[in-house]
Amino acid sequence: MKRMKWGLKIALTALVMSSVAITAAPAFAAGKLTVSSSQDPGSWDPIDTFLVAWAAVSTNIFDGLTYRGPDLKLVPGLAESWEELDQGKRIRFKLRHNVKFHDGEPFNAEAVKFTFDRLLGEQGAKGPQRSNYTAIESIDIIDDYTVDMKLKTPDPVLLTKLAGYGAMIVPPKYIKEKGEDYFNLNPVGTGAFKFVSYTPKVNIKLDANPDYWGGAPKLSELEYRFISEPATAVAELQAGRVDIVIPPTIPIGMLPVIQGDSKLEIASVPGPTVDSLRFNTRDGITADPRVRKAIIMAVDRDTIVKSILAGQGTEIVSFQNSLSFGYDADLKPLPYDPAGAKKLLAEAGVKPGAALQIDIRGNDATMNEVAQVVASYLQMVGLTATIKPYETNVLLNDIIPQGKTGAMFQQKWGGWTFDYDNTAYSMYHSGEKWNPYEKDAALDKLLESQRPLTDRAEREKVLKEIGKYVADKALELPLYNSNAIYGVSKRVKGFVPAPDTRIKLNEVTVD
Amino acid sequence: MAGFLIKRLLQAIFVVIAITLLVSFAIRLTGDPAVMMFQGGGSMTEDDLARIRTALGTDQPFLVQYFSFLKGLLTLNFGRSFTGSTPVSQLIANALPATLLLAFISMVVSIAISIPLGIKAATARGKAADQIIRVLSLLGLSFPNFWLALMMVLLFSITLGWLPPSGMVGISSYVMPAVTMGVILTATNVRLVRTAMLETLQSQYIMVARAKGLSEIKVLYKHALRNCAIPLITYFGIQFGGLLGGIVVIERVFNWPGLGTLAFDAVGARDYPVLQGVITVLALFIVGVNLLVDIAYGLVDPRIRTE
Repeated sequence: MKRMKWGLKIALTALVMSSVAITAAPAFAAGKLTVSSSQDPGSWDPIDTFLVAWAAVSTNIFDGLTYRGPDLKLVPGLAESWEELDQGKRIRFKLRHNVKFHDGEPFNAEAVKFTFDRLLGEQGAKGPQRSNYTAIESIDIIDDYTVDMKLKTPDPVLLTKLAGYGAMIVPPKYIKEKGEDYFNLNPVGTGAFKFVSYTPKVNIKLDANPDYWGGAPKLSELEYRFISEPATAVAELQAGRVDIVIPPTIPIGMLPVIQGDSKLEIASVPGPTVDSLRFNTRDGITADPRVRKAIIMAVDRDTIVKSILAGQGTEIVSFQNSLSFGYDADLKPLPYDPAGAKKLLAEAGVKPGAALQIDIRGNDATMNEVAQVVASYLQMVGLTATIKPYETNVLLNDIIPQGKTGAMFQQKWGGWTFDYDNTAYSMYHSGEKWNPYEKDAALDKLLESQRPLTDRAEREKVLKEIGKYVADKALELPLYNSNAIYGVSKRVKGFVPAPDTRIKLNEVTVD
Repeated sequence: MAGFLIKRLLQAIFVVIAITLLVSFAIRLTGDPAVMMFQGGGSMTEDDLARIRTALGTDQPFLVQYFSFLKGLLTLNFGRSFTGSTPVSQLIANALPATLLLAFISMVVSIAISIPLGIKAATARGKAADQIIRVLSLLGLSFPNFWLALMMVLLFSITLGWLPPSGMVGISSYVMPAVTMGVILTATNVRLVRTAMLETLQSQYIMVARAKGLSEIKVLYKHALRNCAIPLITYFGIQFGGLLGGIVVIERVFNWPGLGTLAFDAVGARDYPVLQGVITVLALFIVGVNLLVDIAYGLVDPRIRTE
């Protein structure tokens, strides 16, 4: 009998304790932050991917020689200082001392050489990152903490590109010992947080690195969950199980839900992504520049940004945003002038009711709405527009590069380097994939001329000229630059939204 | 018995080859995984694309790619994902239990509800209970499943905070996905059970059983149900197979890391190895389930056993 009573007591205690454990369920241990990202990049190796979703996580695991934060200023990273020699064809980096990788091995010139040899060599050949760094010829070790980066041609954007993605520094000993496959799934770097675990399509967990050279993080744990469905991510935010939802998950239509919740807030900054409707300058009525100008004048872009985008974007005049290098504040857009548009159309001999087709990405909720509004503006000047949504992959691979588009098609671009060169060359140079219709020798020359210029002022001048040239020729209907929208729980303190989603969370705390 | 199994095995192989050939061909018709890799930005030249295509193996002719896939199958090697080169077998090994568990629980929930309800509707034919059950079934069929899912999340996760809104994070996270799936399945199955039971209840032996004085429960469950079990088992079997693939919407809404999500993402990214691997596994499963259904016939109906 005594035994039974004792056994019963134990069982009861166990039951009570376990039920407490289940119901108490504290949502977070003190100092843990949970972030929702829309995509799982599949590999954490810096040379494997271009995905923004990769950088949102890996800016906390790896460092580059330089660092560019949310204010977009370039500052020392793993390199304390650098100087340009040989007319910009050689850069000497002085490396930071006393930095260790998460596996204990030291950061030094050896690691830098290994990183770039790997990026430019066989491993890098399998991935898309290498094409950004082809200006680099080789790395020479001068001493343990000094390296020379030899360049084939001077690349004015290189120092920015060294801050992220393919140029982030990786550990030589760890990769040689564990192998490439292991490194993909178990990354090790010099960053503020170290890798703990990764479950494909579910989450990645990081712990604070107390020895971080930039100062120990204030958080103890970091978890990124991969949630692609916007409604689900916002539900998690509202339920308090996720603290930050990073772009591009939150669509503009969901903003009132977050703004209406007293525990949440929106952090929104201009992002790098720009959208425009490019013209088919080869076929149909849009081959005539007067028609193109008329179409631009017929659409009230300002109202579109204010109403459809609810202020979460800015109007653009050229295919870049105001933070981009090469941005011309003095370039004025064509005015909204439906009467003038009708006149131009009549001049060009376009009959009222003329039809044109607008091709867009089917899964882009915002552009779907914007395109419909554009179509109604065009209706008011006598043009009948039909909208054709395509699956993104089909549009990007089969329709645009092969010149099978309608009269207008959506171009969306988001370069993290915020440099107009990156964009303009791909968009307007003859032979580029995104430019199936234009062959303009003068424009080509302009685009090629600014690439090797290292004098910033000169480069800026040429880039502005390019912007004006494109606007004069009316190659596109520039629409908007969307904001990078973050949904943040009010328990998060010290979070600075990054325009390029490359968030570093070592200064953030949670209540 | 051995001849029967061998025949079915050959059929299975033929089905898998036909389906994977069709799917592999269809997904290569449009889009290019190499272009998808550059989506984030950065200029890409034709050289870069050619380099990536060689690395991925997509520059080979279609049949060469397909045969190397078949060769890999023989060693259970499905290749590596284009997104990050994780071995596809690892991705499937992670995703398969998630989908199977959800599908299984949903089916159990649905069968447990639809059999009693279907029987009740059949026996109360034309009367109030029957009408109510049939209207409920219609409602269940009419609600779009994602709407139901979102409404449940709104109520149970956001307003009440009882259940986690998404993810496979412990027992409580199974509730909403399984119930959402279960509701839709039940709506169909109730009518099925009702129809099957109605037919059976007309039979002579049921009259005899009742005349003998057997309790109604015994009449319904021991005699009538066993006799209409065959069409029900067939249908449930096919339904289970269909569940495995068709669960995509539920998986997306609840962020369930299963095969549906895997396949959906693979199509968007043109991740050929992952899609081919998932389709193969699904095809094998459905064929396997159908085989089990046929074996179950033999157990339920002694007449078939003697064939």
